[in-house]
Amino acid sequence: MRPSLASATRLLHIGLLRSASLMVPVSQRAEWLREWRGELWHVRQACAPADCASWSGQREVTAFCLGAFQDALCLRRAARQPLAAMEGTPRQCILILAAILGASYAIALLLPGVRTERSLWPRKVNPNLVLIQSEGSNYDSQPSIHPAQFRSWETRRQRYFDGFAFYRVTNEPAALELNGNRLQAKLAWGVARASSNLFTLLGLPIRFTDAGTNANTTADGSLPEVILSEKIWKREFGADPHVTGGLMRLGTRMVRIAGIAPDGSLDLPGRVDAWLLEPEPELGSNSVGYVVAHLTAAGKEEMWTTWVHITANEPDGAEDNLLGVSLEGWLPPPETLYLFALFLALLALPAITTVSLGEYSVNPQKTSWSRRLRRWSFLGAKTALLLPIIYFVSVDLAYACTFFGRECEAYIQLVFTFAMCLFGLRWVLKDQRQRCPVCLRRVTHPAQVGQASRTFLDWNGTEMMCMGGHTLLHVPSLPTSWFSTQRWLYLDTSWNFLFAGSTRPAP
Amino acid sequence: MARESRIPETRLSHTAALILQALDAGFVYGFSIMEMTGLPSGTVYPAMRRLERDELIRSHWERQSIADAEQRPPRKYYKLNAAGKATLEASRRRYPLLERLIPREEVKTV
Repeated sequence: MRPSLASATRLLHIGLLRSASLMVPVSQRAEWLREWRGELWHVRQACAPADCASWSGQREVTAFCLGAFQDALCLRRAARQPLAAMEGTPRQCILILAAILGASYAIALLLPGVRTERSLWPRKVNPNLVLIQSEGSNYDSQPSIHPAQFRSWETRRQRYFDGFAFYRVTNEPAALELNGNRLQAKLAWGVARASSNLFTLLGLPIRFTDAGTNANTTADGSLPEVILSEKIWKREFGADPHVTGGLMRLGTRMVRIAGIAPDGSLDLPGRVDAWLLEPEPELGSNSVGYVVAHLTAAGKEEMWTTWVHITANEPDGAEDNLLGVSLEGWLPPPETLYLFALFLALLALPAITTVSLGEYSVNPQKTSWSRRLRRWSFLGAKTALLLPIIYFVSVDLAYACTFFGRECEAYIQLVFTFAMCLFGLRWVLKDQRQRCPVCLRRVTHPAQVGQASRTFLDWNGTEMMCMGGHTLLHVPSLPTSWFSTQRWLYLDTSWNFLFAGSTRPAP
Repeated sequence: MARESRIPETRLSHTAALILQALDAGFVYGFSIMEMTGLPSGTVYPAMRRLERDELIRSHWERQSIADAEQRPPRKYYKLNAAGKATLEASRRRYPLLERLIPREEVKTV
């Protein structure tokens, strides 16, 4: 055999041992590999010495190395035995539920949509705000109020409203210019030209606001202020907190960045990247827009639902039919949706499973108070872990994608919460019914007993066994008057020989 | 209840008994046991791990100085302990040909 081939087979053998070592538990791997490499040296000396290496010798060495895989596999199985012993125990159940809870909570913390939703509750916008639009106009897309109407409402004394703000959305090119350094980005933004009192009326928090935010003009001259949306702030400015006070060009005008509006905080129609706050006379007269109004106490009394018909008397005596839509919306926060769905699921639960926990009382002398307490504690712990899991998973699923909109997300959360509560609680009850009353392990090894055709002569159903050797569970396939629900059979010491390998405390 | 490995009369397989006999006969590392018994490495080493787990045999590493002097890697040696000897005695009664299959040789000092 050529030396190059001999060294290649040597590499192959070392590679085989190293591959096999990957199956060995980490704590034993180094010593295991040391032993096998030491033995390999001796095997090679005996079967394929360097001076007279042969194919048959190399084959023997390779066969020796392949045996390492079986050895590694045995060690791996031995290392898994403690885990196998834990299977079906209440501890395993609690640990798995706790792990799922931790994972779902971590995902909720990481998903941007969920974080945004959580930051919105409790809502920070002022209460009693309505969006006024022409009756019949589409809420989401059609601006319908002329600036002249807005001015006339604002200047006249109103019974139902004590504040108005106007905005209209236009597409304008934006050139970012910070600290005199002109950037090359030239973008088309959705710019809302708004009356300067809009944010005051809404009561919205502005992030990173500078001292001159509330004024229309600044020390820089008469530059109007612009409030950036959080989305555009992150996308174009890399979420730089020092962006406020900087200058940029919107359309043909220089403006000063006055702050950042938190994402999702505005449930106002129109796709808006920036809010340009202008003195009222500059709002233009031809383009229609949206009007936000604040209700007085009298106005609030008239607002029975989330929308109201409004009749406006114009200066020329004409009447204008309008629609006022509440900005508070009708959608409750996620916690309320969750509780509502949970309530519905509790109502529906008896329809899909029996709420009985099985015939635990069949042998009352053998169920001590401590065991009963342990059993109920386990049931309580399972439920206590399951309910927050359902909350976080439903929130994760509903708000993972912000594409659908708030209303659709609320429906998704409601449906998922209801389904998970229903089937989750069903699992909790079913799992509890199949736990041994003595050790709380799940019964296993189901065996079909009897024949369905002999139902009226004898019972037929499924028999399951506690691997701790405490009980047998008999579940009838067809409940009858003499065998309506499952029964526990407590095993005495004569059964010990079947469970020789298990620990079996006396029942 | 005692572990199953401590019921030697009923539990020890022929392979395990063969390995115990080889160890008792002075074949004290895996490869020599393979050569003597004709069993493959994938059988001998896992069986020795089980015997060690069941406290019938114990292992120790050869001193590095000895291995260095002979210019080879150190090896791991296995030895019967008291429980292993008792189990082997029971196995010999169960498998009478065991001693004839693997006769004793002089035990090397390691």
